[in-house]
Amino acid sequence: MAATQENMVSADEPMSRSVAERPGGSVGVSFSIRPRARTHTPLTPVIIQCRNLTIRYGSFAAVRDVTLDIREREVTALIGPSGCGKSTLLRAVNRMNDLIPSARAEGQLLYREQDIYSPQCDPVEIRMRIGMVFQKPNPFPKSIYNNIAWGARINGYRENMKTLVEQSLRQAALWDEVKDKLHSPALELSGGQQQRLCIARAVALQPDVLLMDEPCSALDPIATARIEELIDDLKKKYTVILVTHNMQQAARVSDRTALLYMGELVEYDDTAVLFTNPQNPRTQDYITGRFG
Amino acid sequence: MTAHFVNLLDDVRRRSLAMARLAQDMLEEACQALLHSDKTLAQRVVDRDGEVDQAEVEVESEVIRLMALHQPMGSDLRLLCTVLKVNNDLERIADCAVNIAQRAMHLVGTGAVQDYPELLAMMTDTRRMLNHAVEAFARQDLTTAQATPKEDQPIDDRYVTIIRNVIEQVGRHPEQAAAGLDVLSVAKNLERLADHASNIAENVIFLVTGEIIRHQNDLPQD
Repeated sequence: MAATQENMVSADEPMSRSVAERPGGSVGVSFSIRPRARTHTPLTPVIIQCRNLTIRYGSFAAVRDVTLDIREREVTALIGPSGCGKSTLLRAVNRMNDLIPSARAEGQLLYREQDIYSPQCDPVEIRMRIGMVFQKPNPFPKSIYNNIAWGARINGYRENMKTLVEQSLRQAALWDEVKDKLHSPALELSGGQQQRLCIARAVALQPDVLLMDEPCSALDPIATARIEELIDDLKKKYTVILVTHNMQQAARVSDRTALLYMGELVEYDDTAVLFTNPQNPRTQDYITGRFG
Repeated sequence: MTAHFVNLLDDVRRRSLAMARLAQDMLEEACQALLHSDKTLAQRVVDRDGEVDQAEVEVESEVIRLMALHQPMGSDLRLLCTVLKVNNDLERIADCAVNIAQRAMHLVGTGAVQDYPELLAMMTDTRRMLNHAVEAFARQDLTTAQATPKEDQPIDDRYVTIIRNVIEQVGRHPEQAAAGLDVLSVAKNLERLADHASNIAENVIFLVTGEIIRHQNDLPQD
C-alpha cells in the first residue's frame, strides 16, 4: 500500500512552527544543533618543515611546491598513487636524492630549524639523525650481531656493543626470536625478521627520525602486523614518516596523513579526519577508489 | 574502488530506503486504523512487522559484509555507518507503528480517540517529522536533516498535554480508564517514534558533514 495519505507531506513543506532546539532523546532533554569542534591529535613540536619544496629530476618536477610540517613522535603517512612523488619527498628528508645526479631541490626543508640543504649541512650526519628503512629488507651479508654493530662501530661507538645490539633488537621486537643465534647469518632470517633487523640497524644509530619507504610491501600479513605494532612502539621515541600504498595501513598506524597527487600536496590532516571526512574532493575520490 | 562496489553501495542504500518507505506506510496505516476504527488495517500493520524485521537483518548483514570485504573509507564509510544506524531506528519505528495498531484495535468502538484532539495533532506532527527525516536521508539533504530534529519538541509538548488530559478525563470518567491507558500508549509510541525520526535526521547530518551532533549539550565542553 502506498503511503500517500492526506497527512503525508513532502520534505519541501516549510516549517511553520517556532520551536525550541531540543530534539532527540526523551521529553525534556535539551539539545542544540551546532558542529562540534574537530578533535585533532594533541600537537607535539614540529621537527621537520617543508617550505615550498620542489624536487626535480632534470626538468621534471616530481614534487611541486609542497609545504607541510611533520611533528615530533608522531607517525606521518605519505600516500598517493604511483608516481605522485611520495617516495621522492621521503628521500628528500635525509638527502637520499643526492645520490641521483639529476635530482635537485628548491625551497626549504628544515630539520629542527636547520636547513638540511644548506652547504654547511653534512648529508652523512643528516642520515645518522634521520634513518631509513627500505621497501625490500636489505640486511648486510653478515651475522645478525654485525648487522647492528657494524654501523655503530664505523661511526665510532665506543660503549658496550653487546648492550647496544640487545637494546636495538629489543626496540625492533626481534630480540626474543634471535637472542640465541646472534652470530647466524642475517640472510637466514625470514623476510619479516629481516625487515625488523633493518629497523634495529637503523635505531642502533640512535636517530631522531625514521623514514620508512613501504616497509611492509614485501611482507605477508602476519609480518606486516608485527611491523605495524613496532611502528606504534617506535613513535614513543622516534618520529616516523611512512610511505605506503596501503591506505588501510596508513589509517591503522599513522597520526597524520598527507595525500600527494602529481607531485602536489592535496590534503594533509589528522588521519582519522582524512579517512572519514576528507575536505578535498580529490582525497575523497582517492580514498574511495574513484580516482581518475 | 570498483564499479561493482559502487553498485553494491547503491543497492544497500536503496534497500534501506525501501525499508524506510515500509516503516512510513506502517505508521500511516496505524494512524488511519486509529482514526477510522479500522481493525483490518490495524491487523495489516501488525502482520507487516515481520517484513521489517527481515529487511533489518538483511540490510545489517549486507552492511557488515561490505565493511569486511571492501573496507570502505570517507563518504562510503559514512554511508554504511549511517545505513546501519538508520536501519536500527527504522525497525524500532515499525515496532512503534505495530504498538499503535494494537492499541487501535483495543480502541475500536470506544470513540476515545475523538476525545483527545491533541492526539490527532500529535499523529499529524509525527508523520510529518518522519517523512522529513526519510526525505532528508533519501536526498542526503542537509537543510532538511538539520530542521527535522527541531520538530521533536512540539511533539514532546503534545505528549505532556495528553498525559494531563488523560489524567483529567479518567478522573472525571473512571470507566474510561482502559481507553485512557490505550490513548496514553499511542501517545508514548508517537513520542518515541519522533525520537527515532530525530536520530535518523542526525545520522543524515553525519552522513553529509562527518560531524556527530548528538548529545552536544550533554557532553563536557572543551
